[in-house]
Amino acid sequence: MGKRIMVVDDSRMVELQMQNLLEDTDYRIVAYCRNGEDSIKTYGQVLPDLVTMDIIMPGMDGLETAQAILEKYPDARIIMVSSLAYEDTFDEAKTIGAKGFLDKPFDRERLLATFEKALAE
Amino acid sequence: MDTALSQQSLEEMLDTVVREVTETTAGIRLYHDTQPPAGELCTIYITFQKGLHSGISLCAEAAMLRRMTQNFIQSEDVTLQDLEDFSKEYFNVVCGRVAAILFKTTKVAARFSVPDFYQGRYRPDGFQDQFVLTYSSDQRENAELTHHVPHQDGDEIMTTLT
Repeated sequence: MGKRIMVVDDSRMVELQMQNLLEDTDYRIVAYCRNGEDSIKTYGQVLPDLVTMDIIMPGMDGLETAQAILEKYPDARIIMVSSLAYEDTFDEAKTIGAKGFLDKPFDRERLLATFEKALAE
Repeated sequence: MDTALSQQSLEEMLDTVVREVTETTAGIRLYHDTQPPAGELCTIYITFQKGLHSGISLCAEAAMLRRMTQNFIQSEDVTLQDLEDFSKEYFNVVCGRVAAILFKTTKVAARFSVPDFYQGRYRPDGFQDQFVLTYSSDQRENAELTHHVPHQDGDEIMTTLT
């Protein structure tokens, strides 16, 4: 059985892109959330193997959301996905316990490599 | 640490980023031009909320954004909602790249709002244009990238970083 992915991103384009890039792989998207608040509720219902979390979102941003999920579920594996790819954001993501960082725009190769690394930890 | 960024530095940075991201995400090469966009227009706008106190907008001919969306989703069928969603995500990537370069050069961590999308031309209240970069695509579709700064008195407009 493939690994179960939950995608948290306010952009429907990212959902489409993830679906395309994960086609014919061992990963399948089991939940999609457009905001942080929904994802906190959904995480407990779905208990995915991996979460991809956007940072810039309306309402709670991705870093706050990841922190809230990790406080409740310390084993959650969360990858931050953002174009804000610089040390300040990397450090913040690492501090809250994110398992990886994927900078936008991304391709299939980088997406799968980031997933594999996060799941191997 | 510098608390002001010269207009030339910012212009060069924005120019490099917008052309690179447009080609990477949507496969469209932008060229410098002097012809402003005309006809059916759309504008995407963000404000920096932390680090850089300004806004950036891209006003483009809808035909160009439609073609960029088609290339991204790899489908000829594009709705207005698709166009809006793609444009916001594309501009999110542009502004994220700007914030990343800004951090490397100034160590100021900039954060910005979720992009807004408007049909037609949009100019934010309380801001003035610091500079405008004009582009055309390989199919002669035009676009304008504008850096908006709060209204200021004086001859020289500086972009403040905190």
